[in-house]
Amino acid sequence: MKQTIRFEGVSKQYANGHQGLVEVNLEIRRGEFVFLVGPSGAGKSTLVRLLYGEERLNAGEIYVDQFRLRVLTHRQMPRLRRQLGIVFQDGKLLPSRTVYQNVAFAMEVVGASSRDIKKRVPHVLELVGLSRRRDNFPHQLSGGEQQRVGIARALVNRPSYIVADEPTGNLDPETGQDIMKLFVEINRIGATIIMATHAKDLVDRFQKRVVAIEAGRIVRDQLRGAYGYEA
Amino acid sequence: MKLSGGLYVLRETGRSLWRNAWMSVASISTVAISLLVLASFLVISINLNHVTAVLQSEVEVRVFMKSGTSRAAEMQLMDTARHWPDVRRVTFFTKRQAARALQSEFPAQQGLFALVQHSNPLFDGYDVFATTPQKIPQLAARFRAQAIVHNVIYQGQVVHRLVRLSKIMQWTGWIIESLLSVATLFIIMNTIRLAVFARRREIHVMKLVGATDWFIRWPFVLEGLVLGLIGAALSLTVVANGYRWIVNEASVAVPFWPMAPFQQVVSQTALFIMVGGVLIGALASAVAVHRFLRV
Repeated sequence: MKQTIRFEGVSKQYANGHQGLVEVNLEIRRGEFVFLVGPSGAGKSTLVRLLYGEERLNAGEIYVDQFRLRVLTHRQMPRLRRQLGIVFQDGKLLPSRTVYQNVAFAMEVVGASSRDIKKRVPHVLELVGLSRRRDNFPHQLSGGEQQRVGIARALVNRPSYIVADEPTGNLDPETGQDIMKLFVEINRIGATIIMATHAKDLVDRFQKRVVAIEAGRIVRDQLRGAYGYEA
Repeated sequence: MKLSGGLYVLRETGRSLWRNAWMSVASISTVAISLLVLASFLVISINLNHVTAVLQSEVEVRVFMKSGTSRAAEMQLMDTARHWPDVRRVTFFTKRQAARALQSEFPAQQGLFALVQHSNPLFDGYDVFATTPQKIPQLAARFRAQAIVHNVIYQGQVVHRLVRLSKIMQWTGWIIESLLSVATLFIIMNTIRLAVFARRREIHVMKLVGATDWFIRWPFVLEGLVLGLIGAALSLTVVANGYRWIVNEASVAVPFWPMAPFQQVVSQTALFIMVGGVLIGALASAVAVHRFLRV
């Protein structure tokens, strides 16, 4: 089994005619850390959403490990998503559940045993530094803490890939930097990270692979790159 | 599904019913009311069937002998009449049998029975069944012409019309019942859809972390099933008590009217309403949640 993500000639046109991606070719290997950068509306989010199947592609093919997304059926979708941990800009936490429950929820819905849940959730909460907040509700947390819960939830099922769409978009620079350090730490312990972001100083500071997208096309792909735009 | 999955489904169902308590009360009452209407039609339709069956089995022509006629003469006429072309069947009854039949037909009128026991004013006679209802008037005339016959009564025309009426009522009943079932389905569907809509974020997150459709669907389906079941039980309670009251009142007010027995009506209605409620509830939820699973 190839453990990579590969885009081959991928195009996405939305129903309203907007061209999300045009002929995109991209390969991401296991263990990489990739920033997707570019102006708003350039296609970063489209690329991310195609990856976890929230949008379907019109042309080309996306390979995620053994999955081929063009021919993936609705029934097979859950299996793809269990390979991916997704982190959203707004966290998408469930407001009526505590920190612990929000993270445990992700394990419950994929049918994990309660023994595994009791073992893994505290471990993951410790990793993101929220052990002491486990019984708080999302509205009692700061923005950075909420994002950490989102990251814990993405991590808890041990996915091969972490896909993040503007995870620091709602945070102040300092908190953003803490969250970014957490992603670097997660990458160091083995997960592949794909992150769409606007955060220029973070991209410049952390010196990872940078893929720049403009008007739906990849215009730059650079190891140890910089943001390259005025943010 | 593994045990942990089953526990999850039960817990989620209970949690949702409790968290949306007022919504649950609202949907249970809506379900109960629509099933109540449905059940009432069912009761009417069962009764119509009952009346039709009773009337059809009832004597078409009843022939009474003059009192004092010898048993031999009565038997002779019966043997002759058996071979008349329009006669299907003839059965003989004595006046004592007639009295006993009267008693079982009107159990509430014990005073009348005491009178009949004391000095029986009834007659010996025949129950004559015709091959077709249309032949009844001729048959009655032919009996009336016999010397030993005291009187002939028949209700052929009435029976004929009632049978036709009840057939029509049966059909309309079924049409109205199917329409009501569909209406109930939509009501529950909308109720569950509101519950699903309130939890669409949750469902979205579940989909994105890799939950299967059925894993998400089960709690809602079970919730709809419980709503349907409780609603059905409520409407059944009302209908059963209402029908018991009607049967009691009717046995005094219109004793000649053959009401379908309580047990039969309630068991048939219960079966239909309970199964219907559960199926409609579960189906409605499955449909309601469907739209939110396309992520």
